[in-house]
Amino acid sequence: ATDNCTKITKYRCSGCIAVGKPLNSRNFSKLLHSCPYQCDHHKVIVDAEDRYKSELRRSLICNKKILLTPRRRQLSKES
Amino acid sequence: MFRGQRGWFCGSVGQDLRRFWVAEGGTISDSRAADFLFSCDASHPDTLRIYQSLDYIEDNATVFHACYLSTVANAEIKSSVALGHFILPPACLQNEIRRRIGSFIWEQDQHFLIEKHGEV
Ligand SMILES: [Zn+2]
Repeated sequence: ATDNCTKITKYRCSGCIAVGKPLNSRNFSKLLHSCPYQCDHHKVIVDAEDRYKSELRRSLICNKKILLTPRRRQLSKES
Repeated sequence: MFRGQRGWFCGSVGQDLRRFWVAEGGTISDSRAADFLFSCDASHPDTLRIYQSLDYIEDNATVFHACYLSTVANAEIKSSVALGHFILPPACLQNEIRRRIGSFIWEQDQHFLIEKHGEV
């Protein structure tokens, strides 16, 4: 029980308390990012997810380049 | 409680939780239109599709563990359950996160979540 008590005090950032507007899957991530006092719990999750997202973004860009390159080559042959 | 809200449910979420959502006024929609994204399993193909979507990459889609709904169902004051405690991160991140914060809140005893809000 004591372990839970220490955890309770840590869970106190805007990700922990619903403030003002109702939260949902669409606005939650932005709310957390805009919170200057992320609790340990949310900070760790946000950091991990952000890293995952930037990796995904990078791989998306790579895929696009691979798709675009042959098309560009074709165009230059035609012209 | 969920009147006017659209919810998307991963195939990993049980029927009873979907029924509770609808009973509380929520509707069920596809993932693009949904206000809420619920899953019980971050490695389920349905949920993996969310994690690979542009919405997710652009911070417009947070997946919540569907045990949020069972916690709400069991809570005395339904609106007192903090949604933010139920973030469900991609499965490949969960072990790393667990190493740093211990167990996820949705892995802990659900009575603790309810009592905690009762005390505040
Ligand atoms: Zn927090």
